Amino acid sequence: MRSPALAIAWEFRQRHRWGLMAVAGYLLVVATIRFLILEPGEPVRVDSLRFAAVVSVPLTTTFVYLLAVFSFGFAGDLAARQSIYPARMFTLPVTTAALAGWPMLYGSAATAILWLAARLLAVWPSGTEIPVMWPALLGATLLAWTQALTWMPYGLPGLRVIVAVLCLAALDTVVLLAIHYNVREPMMVAVLAPQMPLAYLAARFAVARARRGVVPDWRGMFARVGNIADVLTRRRDHFPSPARAQAWFEWRRHGRSLPALVGLVLPFELWLLWLAKDAPAFVFEILFLALITPPFMAAFTAWTVSKPHPNVSDSYGVPPFIATRPLTSAALIAAKLQMAMWSALAAWLLVLVAIPVALDWSGTWPVVLDRAQRLNDAIGTPRAVVLVLLILAGFIVSTWKQLVQSLHIGLTGREWLIKGSVLLTLTFLILLGPIVEWIIDSPSVQRALWNALPLILAGLVGLKMSAAAWIATRLDRRRLLGDRAFVVGAAGWCAAVLALYGVLVWFFSTSFIARYVLALVAILAIPLARLSAAPLALAWNRHR
Amino acid sequence: MSESVISVSELTRRFGATTALASVSLSMPRGAVYGLVGANGAGKTTLIKHLLGLLRAESGSVRVFGLDPVADPVGVLSRIGYLSEENDLPGWMRVDELIRYSRAFYPAWDDGYADELRQTFALDPTAKITNLSKGQKARAGLLIALAHRPELLVLDEPSSGLDPIVRRDILGAVIRTIADEGRTVLFSSHLLGEVEQVADHVTMIHHGKIVLSAPLDAIRDSRRVGERVPSLDEIFIALVGMAAAPAREA
Repeated sequence: MRSPALAIAWEFRQRHRWGLMAVAGYLLVVATIRFLILEPGEPVRVDSLRFAAVVSVPLTTTFVYLLAVFSFGFAGDLAARQSIYPARMFTLPVTTAALAGWPMLYGSAATAILWLAARLLAVWPSGTEIPVMWPALLGATLLAWTQALTWMPYGLPGLRVIVAVLCLAALDTVVLLAIHYNVREPMMVAVLAPQMPLAYLAARFAVARARRGVVPDWRGMFARVGNIADVLTRRRDHFPSPARAQAWFEWRRHGRSLPALVGLVLPFELWLLWLAKDAPAFVFEILFLALITPPFMAAFTAWTVSKPHPNVSDSYGVPPFIATRPLTSAALIAAKLQMAMWSALAAWLLVLVAIPVALDWSGTWPVVLDRAQRLNDAIGTPRAVVLVLLILAGFIVSTWKQLVQSLHIGLTGREWLIKGSVLLTLTFLILLGPIVEWIIDSPSVQRALWNALPLILAGLVGLKMSAAAWIATRLDRRRLLGDRAFVVGAAGWCAAVLALYGVLVWFFSTSFIARYVLALVAILAIPLARLSAAPLALAWNRHR
Repeated sequence: MSESVISVSELTRRFGATTALASVSLSMPRGAVYGLVGANGAGKTTLIKHLLGLLRAESGSVRVFGLDPVADPVGVLSRIGYLSEENDLPGWMRVDELIRYSRAFYPAWDDGYADELRQTFALDPTAKITNLSKGQKARAGLLIALAHRPELLVLDEPSSGLDPIVRRDILGAVIRTIADEGRTVLFSSHLLGEVEQVADHVTMIHHGKIVLSAPLDAIRDSRRVGERVPSLDEIFIALVGMAAAPAREA
């Protein structure tokens, strides 16, 4: 192997051989279905659920997998300021152009081949006109821009994720609009083709900066806020207990990320209110966007919260400094939960201060007040107030839940489990769309689901309680939780369930929904099993 | 004989096909300085991680102060001062924050002693850990390992990052002081000359097995050739062969 190009290709193949073989196996299965099982010439309905399950979902999953493989996403820390391009490759005696170009070429080729193979094997003849060139080019372009944007060093932690998501969503939107307006293939190719050299230049620039060790630091721009935060959180006195010390540690380590991200995004969202003065519907869409920002951002910051060693991108183990703290694993988790609560509250404080100010300054308060008055007239003041408070509490709890619900996976420190769960989640999210569409399109399915709802809820409750019982047994056997913590935790959970049940009964006092259904919903809504599993996960990682 | 601070019995640990520790048995009575020596990869850090509860015994048993460090991490770790080979102190903390944070975990923390150590090590309380040199980071780690006057001090390759003069002065003084007070020190190193200066008792480990464990004086006496007392380096090479000999410090 005397060529750098071959060496880079070999590394991709060697490291991801099982995944790439699985992709080849999938294409083989599809080819078998296409040529041996389906009747020759039988048209394939691209809008059917079967097509979604056999082609759309696996194809999208494979595309996401290829994005991660060729942008080195499996090895790097997406939330870090530093480039995720492997630093070990910067010392290789090859040009920056080669470092950026070869992975881009291989990735683009892989995505283009994936499309062409899938089109040839899966949807031919489809009965519908399926384009050949531009989807392949779109896949390659998305991959190339993903590489360029993820290899770029950024000035703020987490900024990479936001920039990448926004840029790729913008590119995707342009393409969706083009499809909507039936733009012809040559035009699509003309729009997409120039993206490749542009993405290559951006990637080359990114790798060159990363190779020179250039990592911009824009945290200074927030120095005043940072200084205030430092003054507020810097300890000048002694901690009254180890638990308080650990909670402070967690806050300083992870707690400020979510409020900072929300504070960064919120002004851009609320600025749109100035454009929406004459469009009440748009005002509420902007407000909804602002309200879902904390839970949405929490999903990203949760990755760093659940990562035991945030400073090392490819290490999942608990660092000795933390592992040797004379605290139980349960106490270490309690500190994380406490930090998540403060972090969620701080983020929501920002939202709750910024929204009224933006509504007032933009002159859109009357629109909101008018809608509030109508709600008040429709359901009465007490219910309207409770509804608003419930929605707000739901958003805050969901932000906190987003921050902590993946602890039981991330803290295990097992790479196969963490990456497997990411793949499963992606697959679930991809499957969710077609399933929801299927339900919406089928009144009979909706009726069947409505009739079976109590049974489904009861099954889920049974699953949740069984998992919780198994986890509680393990916690007890390993003495990870004391008897008092068990009793207090169980009592707290029961109180939360009862409180939610009471509110639900009061709010939904209708004969259409049985009370036991509300009880099941309350049991499912209050976190139990996954949270209880977090100390087990940490202990599994801490004492390997 | 006084009670054992550390008691390891038939401890075996494998990482895949590699046997890191093979039926290791060890007992360390209170009040001495133990040198744990061996080449890189011999199993020293693996053994120390078992003592700290960072690794679970696959077979055999580990007891520190008579407690299982995995089952009772608080009971064991609150009595141990540990300086990690990796020296992974959080870079975002300032020195004074590190001291205050660490203080919360140890009821026996001695503020006066911590301040004395900070001054001896010339650590600026307002300096961020990330801005400290490697040697200063090691000193900061040593400070928090010592300031609660632990019953057992575990130093895992503490020499890395310290220049020879400071290393000799600081480690010699610290280890002697602690041993004089009836505390126990476990000092792991592959620099045998350093261990020879401070250890009362030496345990040599090679390919996961203990090849020698005895008081240093007894080891020297047993290997004496006429009037000449061989160095620990020579004894180690004689025991495990040239190929495995650790680097001689420059």
